[in-house]
Amino acid sequence: MDLAAQLLVNTLQIGSVYVLFALGLTLIFGVMKIVNFAHGEFFSLAALVVAVLMPVLAPALGLPLWVDFLIALAAAIGAVLVLGTLTYWIGFERYLRDLVGSFILSVGLILFLQGVFVEIFTATPRPVEPIVTGTISIFGGRITAQRLLIVALAITFTAMLYLVLQRTKLGKALRAVAEDREAAMLQGIRYRSISFYGWLIGVSMAGLAGALIAPLTVSQPAIGGDYLIKAFIIIIIGGLGSIPGAIFGGLLVALIESIFGYYYDLTIATIIMFVLVMVFLLVRPQGLMGHVER
Amino acid sequence: MTRLLRTLALLTATGFASPALAQDTIVLGVSAPLSGAAASWGIGTDWASQQAAKHINDAGGIKVGGKTYKVEVRSVDNKYTAGDGMKTAETLISRDKVKIFTQSVGTAPVKAIQALTERENILLFTSAWGRSVKGPSFPLTFTIINTPDEVLAPIYATVKQRHPEVKNVLMLNPNDASGQDTAKDATKFWTEAGIKVLDSLYFERSTTEFQPIATKIVSQKPDIVDLGGTPPANAGTVLKELEVQGWKGVKVIGAGTGSDVLVRTGGTAANGTYMGLAADFDGPTATEVQRKLNAGAKEVLKESLNVIHMGGYDGVMAAKAGIEAANSLDPQKIAEALPKAVFDISYGKAAFGSKDVYGTPQQLLIPIVVTQIQDGKTVEVVRIVPDELKKRLGQ
Repeated sequence: MDLAAQLLVNTLQIGSVYVLFALGLTLIFGVMKIVNFAHGEFFSLAALVVAVLMPVLAPALGLPLWVDFLIALAAAIGAVLVLGTLTYWIGFERYLRDLVGSFILSVGLILFLQGVFVEIFTATPRPVEPIVTGTISIFGGRITAQRLLIVALAITFTAMLYLVLQRTKLGKALRAVAEDREAAMLQGIRYRSISFYGWLIGVSMAGLAGALIAPLTVSQPAIGGDYLIKAFIIIIIGGLGSIPGAIFGGLLVALIESIFGYYYDLTIATIIMFVLVMVFLLVRPQGLMGHVER
Repeated sequence: MTRLLRTLALLTATGFASPALAQDTIVLGVSAPLSGAAASWGIGTDWASQQAAKHINDAGGIKVGGKTYKVEVRSVDNKYTAGDGMKTAETLISRDKVKIFTQSVGTAPVKAIQALTERENILLFTSAWGRSVKGPSFPLTFTIINTPDEVLAPIYATVKQRHPEVKNVLMLNPNDASGQDTAKDATKFWTEAGIKVLDSLYFERSTTEFQPIATKIVSQKPDIVDLGGTPPANAGTVLKELEVQGWKGVKVIGAGTGSDVLVRTGGTAANGTYMGLAADFDGPTATEVQRKLNAGAKEVLKESLNVIHMGGYDGVMAAKAGIEAANSLDPQKIAEALPKAVFDISYGKAAFGSKDVYGTPQQLLIPIVVTQIQDGKTVEVVRIVPDELKKRLGQ
């Protein structure tokens, strides 16, 4: 095992999921100006749907595991979109650009949804059989083929989101609203519709991260909460509402976790992340790539 | 006036009715994690406790002073944290007037609960693994599962005997009261077994990615990795990462409870792991009661019971035995009567003892079972019935 290579491989595999999860959170903040504390529940839902469906699909359909995974992934995103639509219509639509109202709503949603998930999925930890097996060595750093596949998918989904935001009409509208809502509305952009689409894309990113992590970890109803703390650190460092910031922040947090987790321990790594957050909030509250609110 | 009459009628129907219910029903409390990452421990514990209550009620209840009482178990979520542990104690004691906690899960919440139960004269049964929750300072606390002093010496001796070539160990535990207590005890017992402790690492319970820890472990090239009090799902993930990064050595989980989850998460990497608390309640050495409970849990909870879950059942049965032995509902009298009683629990006949170890006879005497995962199945390697229990049973 080459240590430097292993630490970099660790960073890459940890960071890819962090980035995907944080992207949705930052997109929702950028467009709706709300902090969705229930973001982790969309992650949990997708992970649980994949974990429940995979063992059922394999014997029922008799297809290759990767096909089962794609079906489960689609079902997970479908479930996330349904939950996202319901929570938006019932709650978040009324609290656009309302930080306090949306905070109370999203914290309440965490408690409600975790209870519902425990009832539906039970609290039993649910592992998923690997889609691909084997271990690969990259310059001496070892990684499972399964992890590598997930990293590749995470990079692909991140690139797709980036392209959608840069190249499509919807993406431009989302960016315009995030930049200056009034100016965007003066250009004829329908803010409420765009907010809804931004919300759905945001929660779908959480869902994608959850569905991708399911075969690598053990899914249980509280899993999303553990990732949420990291996502907040990432978007504060990267800049609230900034897509490149979320990517950079995600990789930076993973690098800190990997290096300090090895040379000291993960508790020290977490403390360093929080110190970094405090420094940013004091010195550069807009983060590395965020915009100053006027 | 009408309003006043209505209020009085409502009070009569609700508030005044409660003492009548309390006269005939003994309310027993359970403080366990019912949500969050450790929820499976609490949900199974609650289920097993309810089964014990049903068993007692179906058999006619508990007889005290010529009167028969029904039993009711109320479980409250301690989220496996000290803060919520304290809240559960306040809720069960103030709201539900509970005088006996038949099961409390997690060293951190139990430490918080004890601050109240010992002061308020409440009896506390616990599956807390740490030694710091028992002894003469806690006369009302009784431990209902095997803990480090019972389990670690036999499991480490088994490892040493089967792998004479091992020289050192690296330990990994959760960074909380449970994990720190486990690491302290494990260090003592490994050293006594002649094994050098290379390092003792901790992780936060919210850790999602274990690759950096695995890299750190592998770089120190330990002969043994002891995951101590690491929950089964996390332990499986760590073992898998260790395998990926090329480590091959002896795997031990001193407080390992759930071999099902460990095998499902760790896959082939879980094979060979020695565990101290992973009894097979379907196996040939399980009692009829345990087999029946396990079958019921698999049907209802879709999960096999582990030792902590079974503690829920045994706590209720121990409470019944204590009440009947004391012929009183006073926790103080029950605590005095319990160490002298021999009673039925899921393991068969049992008693409290181990005064020579803890200074007070408040440790449940049950078989110590060392298991190993072989080809994905839990296999019993060593089974020791405590000498003190044999003596008490006249064997």
